[in-house]
Amino acid sequence: MSGFPMVTPTYDRETNHMLKLVNLTKVYRTEEVETTALNSVNIHVKDGEFVAIMGPSGCGKSSLLNIIGMLDNPSSGEYWFAGEDVAGYGERKLADIRKRNIGFIFQSFNLIDELTVFENVELALLYHDIPARERKERVKEALEKVRISHREGHLPQQLSGGQQQRVAIARAVVSRPKMLLADEPTGNLDSANGDEVMRMLTDLNGEGTTIVMVTHSMPHAQYARRIINLFDGQVVAENLRAA
Amino acid sequence: MFRNYVTVALRNLVKHRLYSAINIVGLAVGLAACILILLFVRNELTFDRHIADAERVYQVIMRAQLPGRPADTVANTQLPMGDAMKGAFPEVELRAAMVQQNMTFRTGEKLFSETVFAADPEFLQIFDLPFLEGDRPTALEDRSGIILSEEVARKYFGDEPALGRVITVDGQHDLRVSGVFKKLPPNTHLQFDVLAPIGSPAVRNLEQTRANWGAISSTTYVKLKPGVDAADFNQRFLAWSKTAFPEIRSPNGIVKLSDIFTPSIRPLLSINTDPIATSMRQGTAMTEIYTFSAVAVLVLAIASINFMNLATARATQRAREVSVRKVVGASRAQLVTQFVSESVLLTLVGLVLAVALVELVLPAYSAFLGKELSFNFLSDPGLAAILLGLTVLVGIAGGTYPAFFLSGFKPAAVLKGASSGVGGGSGRLRMTLVVVQFAISIALMVATAIVYGQFLYAQNKDLGFDKENLVVLEGFSTRAMREKARSVAELIAKDPRVAAASATAITPGTFDENNTNVRMPGRGSSELLVVRNEPVDFDFFDTMGMKLVAGRMFDRNRGTDYVTRPEWMRPGGQRPAGTPEDFQMPAAVILNETAVKRLGFASNEAALGQTYLAGAGQGASYNFTIIGVVQDFHFRSVRDPIAPAQFYVDPVQFDAVAVRVKPGDVPGALAAIDNAWKQFFPDTPAQRVFLDDRIQQLYDQERQMATMFAAFAGLAIIIACLGLFGLASFTAERRTKEIGLRKVLGASVPDIVRLLVWQFSKPVLVANLIAWPIAWYGMGHWLQGFTYRIDMNPALFLGAGVVALAIAWLTVGLHAAKVAQAKPIKALRYE
Ligand SMILES: Nc1ncnc2c1ncn2[C@@H]1O[C@H](COP(=O)(O)OP(=O)(O)OP(=O)(O)O)[C@@H](O)[C@H]1O
Ligand SMILES: [Mg+2]
Repeated sequence: MSGFPMVTPTYDRETNHMLKLVNLTKVYRTEEVETTALNSVNIHVKDGEFVAIMGPSGCGKSSLLNIIGMLDNPSSGEYWFAGEDVAGYGERKLADIRKRNIGFIFQSFNLIDELTVFENVELALLYHDIPARERKERVKEALEKVRISHREGHLPQQLSGGQQQRVAIARAVVSRPKMLLADEPTGNLDSANGDEVMRMLTDLNGEGTTIVMVTHSMPHAQYARRIINLFDGQVVAENLRAA
Repeated sequence: MFRNYVTVALRNLVKHRLYSAINIVGLAVGLAACILILLFVRNELTFDRHIADAERVYQVIMRAQLPGRPADTVANTQLPMGDAMKGAFPEVELRAAMVQQNMTFRTGEKLFSETVFAADPEFLQIFDLPFLEGDRPTALEDRSGIILSEEVARKYFGDEPALGRVITVDGQHDLRVSGVFKKLPPNTHLQFDVLAPIGSPAVRNLEQTRANWGAISSTTYVKLKPGVDAADFNQRFLAWSKTAFPEIRSPNGIVKLSDIFTPSIRPLLSINTDPIATSMRQGTAMTEIYTFSAVAVLVLAIASINFMNLATARATQRAREVSVRKVVGASRAQLVTQFVSESVLLTLVGLVLAVALVELVLPAYSAFLGKELSFNFLSDPGLAAILLGLTVLVGIAGGTYPAFFLSGFKPAAVLKGASSGVGGGSGRLRMTLVVVQFAISIALMVATAIVYGQFLYAQNKDLGFDKENLVVLEGFSTRAMREKARSVAELIAKDPRVAAASATAITPGTFDENNTNVRMPGRGSSELLVVRNEPVDFDFFDTMGMKLVAGRMFDRNRGTDYVTRPEWMRPGGQRPAGTPEDFQMPAAVILNETAVKRLGFASNEAALGQTYLAGAGQGASYNFTIIGVVQDFHFRSVRDPIAPAQFYVDPVQFDAVAVRVKPGDVPGALAAIDNAWKQFFPDTPAQRVFLDDRIQQLYDQERQMATMFAAFAGLAIIIACLGLFGLASFTAERRTKEIGLRKVLGASVPDIVRLLVWQFSKPVLVANLIAWPIAWYGMGHWLQGFTYRIDMNPALFLGAGVVALAIAWLTVGLHAAKVAQAKPIKALRYE
């Protein structure tokens, strides 16, 4: 195993946790091999925190984020989300919690090619029983926030990567999630566009949104309040930075 | 939400044009085929429904079990039975008997031959024809009246009122028009233009027919009182017939008619789907309706499978959308709804196209079927509902599996990176579905080939005579005319354009038959021997091209070769007292081969010179000496078994002339025939037909059904190929990278084409293995229904397989060649 010492978290365990992972393990089983992507991970994220997860390729960052985002189930361990252990929940229940609480941003934007900018953002509200007029207002608001309103009628292919990622952010926040998960949101962007995205995330965090972000970029990780280092499926370091 | 679904669906349609086109065209063609079959089926199933209280109206049918012949059910009855039923059954509300006769009508200069339905007055109470002129309830009570359809009234009287006008029938009876009716809609078995009271002076032989319990020549309808059960009635009817049917005397002794004939009633509403020989109109058997319904379902299944296959093959393209939707909160149920709606939407687009297609081909289709099919879905809510229901059904059938497949994607895997990350997990299922499609197609191909082969075989089978250039002259409706038939034939035979002509009482291709019973000397009368009675003139066999297989032909120079009737048998004569054996008319007889066997002779030669007695009607008998045996020939379609028959020369019975014209100047020969007729009967129109046309008509429906079957089977195959084409194009696209790599590693273009073609050959080969036994079993069963049938040739099965394979290769090969020729660098760059 690794020779890194385990570091005990220094913050108060009992107060306002957004999420709490206890001995969380993820094992992928394929026909030939078993891969332990996460090995007994313990992580706590407080309401309103901005956490960055770092680590070498293949160490389990995306696996961790997928479980946090309830896109995947852990193999064992506990996952407490807002005071509820959701580790064993089925797809339907997870989808419901996810819909109400979590927004996603991906490295590859993942906009739907057939839908316009406006419609892509609106999609996040369609499954929320929100009246059309309010939907329209909120989409406009979100698009303004990421300064892409002037392109609302365009299709994704007509936008630059940075613009596409801004649309993706708008889509992630339009449903006003408590928590935003971002998997290498700047991975496909040049540094100027990357910085722009990071500023937007910081603004959102300033407005109270909890953010968990995976990144390979040290400078971008610096935007976060705390950095969790993963290595080979284990948490090897947590650095709390001064606000 | 729904708008969002529609937006995405429509944009996807436009973006993936090939895919959409294949799906929509496939669905449209499938739906159009299904609608066309549906219209046909609906038309067949709604026959006679518009008649008032149709469910209480029945037709009397008769099962005839002639000894030595397979039982036959006919839609006719004896006229005296129809009369005797009157008053015998309290549960019968109305009862009407009807006979059909051809008559010649003249008004002023206009001279036409018409088929007349002569019926009891109750006929118009059972069948509530709308009357345009006259009074329906009483119209048939005036014995000198005649009732015309609107069309016929217009033909004779133009736009003037027809009521009260006079028509001269058969040159001797002046009848007054007592009503004009509007014809029933085309989907009825009762198609007639002229109605007369059964007691009309123009009806011929009424007294004889009324007294003859052996002649099955009229039609009887009954209307039961409400609540009467038909099965119960049939029991009482049968019991009644045992005592009501008389015994008749014959040279063989006493024959109990109730041993031969079994009457029963069948619902009016079942007449069209229960075809019986001698029905007024040939219906469509339920098996045909089931067969075509099944074909419709199969065609739709193939189109739905296309949809399923293409939708799942393309799944990778939708994976990202599915995942994003899930990430933003879509539940699986919502996604399933989305994809099923999409499929229903696509089917709707297909429906619009299908409706256009149906409108386009409906006139030709109706004309081909000889039916008036209507497709007014706007004014026919039932039809509109069926169309929409069909669309939703097909949409759901085709869309449900892809919907579950697509909505099952795990977003975590899909959203990871640039590549979609979805494997072709359903590849095996797709191939299974392709196997199903091709199995259906191959089975349909085999079925088509066999149906068509059997049809051609039947149509071209040697009938036992030469049907080319044979003209039949009919219309000798009165006894006076019949007595001149031989003279007409002799006059026609003199024309140089005519090869031969002979008077006769029979011509092949008609349903009339006259049977008599026979008594072989030295044998007891326990066994009833019944043979067809076929009076023909001396030259009949030569004219028809029928071959003698033993003995000799009739000889006009031998006085003993033809029947000479005693004076008392002429009209008005009085039969002296005595049994039929006391009044024997000696004559020569020629048998067909079947009769030789039926009468128990060891061989054709053994029959020669033998004598026997046969019933001659009017209480007399023939004393026949067998002089020859004629080769068996078909009286009707080859579907019907050949009956035993005896041929003899009895001129008073001739009612037609068969003419063999020389091929050189057929119009001239026809003119000569018409001229000869006119010399004898200037006041009656000649009725002549080409025998091969008439025989052709016997196969009309079979040809129609075979052609229709072939057409729809062809469509099914086309749709299946369309799907394969689409699937191949997607596979080729998906394998672009792999193929590029193979090329880099040294694979040649043919190597790669072979690789792809083989991938799609396997399912077709497997499909053969499934289709063959099913087709073998099913078609073997079908062929059992034919007395004379083709063998199931294994080459046919192999052929269908090869055709399917060739089609698959052609479809797939195009893509394979295109992909295989692409530059590997290009292929690799795009992944
Ligand atoms: N679906 C899967 N099936 C099997 N193994 C998987 C699966 N997804 C991830 N893994 C394995 O789990 C481990 C962690 O993968 P993960 O994608 O979480 O890494 P990562 O830290 O996000 O790497 P990167 O920085 O390259 O994105 C890897 O060894 C990977 O091979
Ligand atoms: Mg990753």
